[in-house]
Amino acid sequence: MHKIESRNVDFFYGETQALHDISLSMKENTVTALIGPSGCGKSTYLRLLNRMNDLIDNTRMEGSILIDQKDIYLKNTNVDDLRKNVGMVFQKPNPFPKTIYENVAYGLRVNGIEDKKIIEERVVTSIEQVALWDEVKDKLKKSAFELSGGQQQRLCIARALAIQPSVLLMDEPTSALDPISTSKIEELIHELKNQYTIVIVTHNMQQAARVSDNTAFFYMGKLIEYDKTKTIFTKPAIKQTEDYITGRFG
Amino acid sequence: MASHFEIELEKLKNVIIKIGNLAESQLSEAVKALLSEPMAEKKEVKKTEEKIDKLDVKIDEICQTIFALQQPVASDLRFIMASMQISNEIERIGDLAMSVIKNSKNIKDKHDLIIKFNVSELAKQVEQITVKMNQCFLDRSETTIGEIFVLNNSIKKGTDDTIHNLMNEMKSNSKAVVSGMNLVMVLKHLERISEHCTNIAEHVHFMIKAKIIKHEKFDDRQ
Repeated sequence: MHKIESRNVDFFYGETQALHDISLSMKENTVTALIGPSGCGKSTYLRLLNRMNDLIDNTRMEGSILIDQKDIYLKNTNVDDLRKNVGMVFQKPNPFPKTIYENVAYGLRVNGIEDKKIIEERVVTSIEQVALWDEVKDKLKKSAFELSGGQQQRLCIARALAIQPSVLLMDEPTSALDPISTSKIEELIHELKNQYTIVIVTHNMQQAARVSDNTAFFYMGKLIEYDKTKTIFTKPAIKQTEDYITGRFG
Repeated sequence: MASHFEIELEKLKNVIIKIGNLAESQLSEAVKALLSEPMAEKKEVKKTEEKIDKLDVKIDEICQTIFALQQPVASDLRFIMASMQISNEIERIGDLAMSVIKNSKNIKDKHDLIIKFNVSELAKQVEQITVKMNQCFLDRSETTIGEIFVLNNSIKKGTDDTIHNLMNEMKSNSKAVVSGMNLVMVLKHLERISEHCTNIAEHVHFMIKAKIIKHEKFDDRQ
């Protein structure tokens, strides 16, 4: 049974078709890397999974996307509930101008959780989950901006996890980070895989190879090849994939 | 314009071709030393062996640099992995060719033994497989790889039969034991050279088809 299932997805920005007939299924508790050159549609596809593209005017999607067997593009879908279930981490760390504690607690309050005890438990658990607790436990009341870029990004992941999603979308989560912070996030992805289904967009081939179970190669809005990461990086079936991962085009 | 990475790969390919050609010529000298008098020029042979050893180290260094700096994947990764192994096999071929030369010196009445046991046919087959080994790396052809497997099988059978006959000769004629034992060792070296050529064909097969076939039985490959 698949956690996420896309069926014949087309997507348009106005008249321009950005995705062509994408059918892609992802199992629960796996990491799927989306790779491809800039403008290939991988981020557009990622944003379809929590309906972030709804926020862009004059866009249109055809086909269907199912999460937990439910079509998330049905008219009666509660988009807020969907985004609680499908968390997202962006390219640049984007903490709120609040304390470290409040950054994680804020999302819980917005989602109607008032019980201080529950909030505190979730905040601590989420910060522990991203292996940040030892680094911030003595400065929870300090501004999140005092943290390093890598710590801020882990805090943003903690913020996403506090809402208890089951899917985590990551759009180039380490592109603005140094190698040590990158390696911490990659370790974290390995850990989180046990509880979440993760979809990650990355331009870093080695990162895709290191962290993911499956890799999807997009080119010009089309899904060219989707297979186990081991297969994609050792013996891809399609020449275009081979040319891209070996750096010969794109 | 070729990228820096492609230039590095081309460099590696050229060094493999060079070391392969040296091994081929080294084996030619070994076969000459076995089949004809006088012996090949010892100095030249020694020099070639040193060149082979140096190139073997150079190939390791090139591969190490590519791994560290370029993080190759897919066909590039297979090419580099195969290159490291091929270089290792070729270096062994060079060493074995030297051993053939050394053992050949200790065979008295060489011509008689060689004619009696048809050793020249076997030696020529080993020369052939060495040429094909270099060819298969260059043309990456499955046909050539298949020919190597068939030839190796024939060399193995030929070696076994010849050694069996030589043993019988030594049993009945004690004077033939020293030369006979040296010839047995030469035959075993030639057989090993053929095996290394076959291993190289397997590495080339991995390089082009992404399938590991080493340790498969000959019959399973037919």
